[in-house]
Amino acid sequence: MNDWQPKITTFLCHWCSYGAADLAGVSRLQYPPNFRIIRVPCSGRVSPKFILAALRHGSDGVWVSG
Amino acid sequence: MIQYTDKIREIAGRLLKDGTVEVFIGYRKGTVPMMNEPVLIRDPDQVDTLHWDVNCGLNLCNYLTRRTEKIGILATGCNSRNIVTHIIENQIKREQLYIVGIPCTGMVDHRAVKRAVGGKEILSAEQQGEKLIVKGADFEKTFEIKEILQSNCAVCRHRNPVEVDEMVADPVPEQEGVEPYKDVESVEGMEPRKKWEFFTRLISRCLRCYACRNACPLCYCPTCFVDESRPQWVGKSNDPTDTMTFHFLRAYHCAGRCTDCGACERVCPVGISMRQFTKKLNKDAEELFSWEAGLTLEQRPPLDVYRPDDYNDFIK
Amino acid sequence: MKNLLEHIGIEPGRLHFSWISSAEATKFVDVANQVYEAVKEVGPAQVFIKRLAEVA
Repeated sequence: MNDWQPKITTFLCHWCSYGAADLAGVSRLQYPPNFRIIRVPCSGRVSPKFILAALRHGSDGVWVSG
Repeated sequence: MIQYTDKIREIAGRLLKDGTVEVFIGYRKGTVPMMNEPVLIRDPDQVDTLHWDVNCGLNLCNYLTRRTEKIGILATGCNSRNIVTHIIENQIKREQLYIVGIPCTGMVDHRAVKRAVGGKEILSAEQQGEKLIVKGADFEKTFEIKEILQSNCAVCRHRNPVEVDEMVADPVPEQEGVEPYKDVESVEGMEPRKKWEFFTRLISRCLRCYACRNACPLCYCPTCFVDESRPQWVGKSNDPTDTMTFHFLRAYHCAGRCTDCGACERVCPVGISMRQFTKKLNKDAEELFSWEAGLTLEQRPPLDVYRPDDYNDFIK
Repeated sequence: MKNLLEHIGIEPGRLHFSWISSAEATKFVDVANQVYEAVKEVGPAQVFIKRLAEVA
């Protein structure tokens, strides 16, 4: 149980958080590797369907960031 | 309610004759007792088929979308709020409508009646004042209408129509001191696991017939998300996950729009109380945005506008 | 959205929303850590997963 790692589906806005994630990478900041990032043109594009689909397909968490 | 019926026929006849409306949407007696059905009347000679009693639980606003003619429509409290919602969402123009308001005292829950007579076949159900007389082959039973109301009507806070051109009778007093969200609160108090079990049990009988969607006046999308196949968001099997997805998304599409008219529950062939989903969203809309759907033409719905003080506690 | 998901029994720790500008790499890392911890705490998802094979 201790070595269980969650799978987190992540919807990132291309202009905001995706940029931030990119910058975090460029700046060599460490963060957990459990995120499966999906880049969306805007976090307004994320529909409740997406979140449910992510959960339905077995993600342990969903993170939407604009 | 006989006087309502006569008045409705008179109004409908007048409107059709003088050309105020081209079609009048009302109810007529169904072929099965306690199941009055919607009817669209274009000929003034046919107004005598119109009927009104406590079994008119379907929502007539379903027939308003994508119409260009002048329409006369009956509207109870919840129906009129759905009309307002339609106007706000540009599904119909106010000028096209002639709204005939009905002060409503609630509709009868046909399932409760059926249960009370032990599931026997009901051959007739006549309303007489505050009573409903139900007859079958070998029984006759009289109900107090107050005791067999649909669950949404029992907690209704808007019995009188909000937007009307003409009323068939004087407004009825609104119910005081009802607790519309009592059952929602009891679910809110549960543990996540318990909640999940509660809702899984709730929808376990669902056949995915989509009657709730078809009866709902809010569901007017040309292609419903359940019918989309590329990509397919909701599986078409009766797998519990798919069923839950359907109910969840259906409810979510009604957020800030549902008027709690109870049509979805009324038409469900297996008697699922899907208002448990929509009511939670109604409660949230009321608590977080002080919004109840369809009360005014002046204001845009909360999911439609941005206000700097919008609820955003959930955003990090 | 989050309220209703919770209402039907998805743990609140599973769904997160945030607002991060493209210049806020440190905030991104902070929030990423928070989300990771929160999801780790609620453990593996047990409900709402479709167990049947997808029929295309």
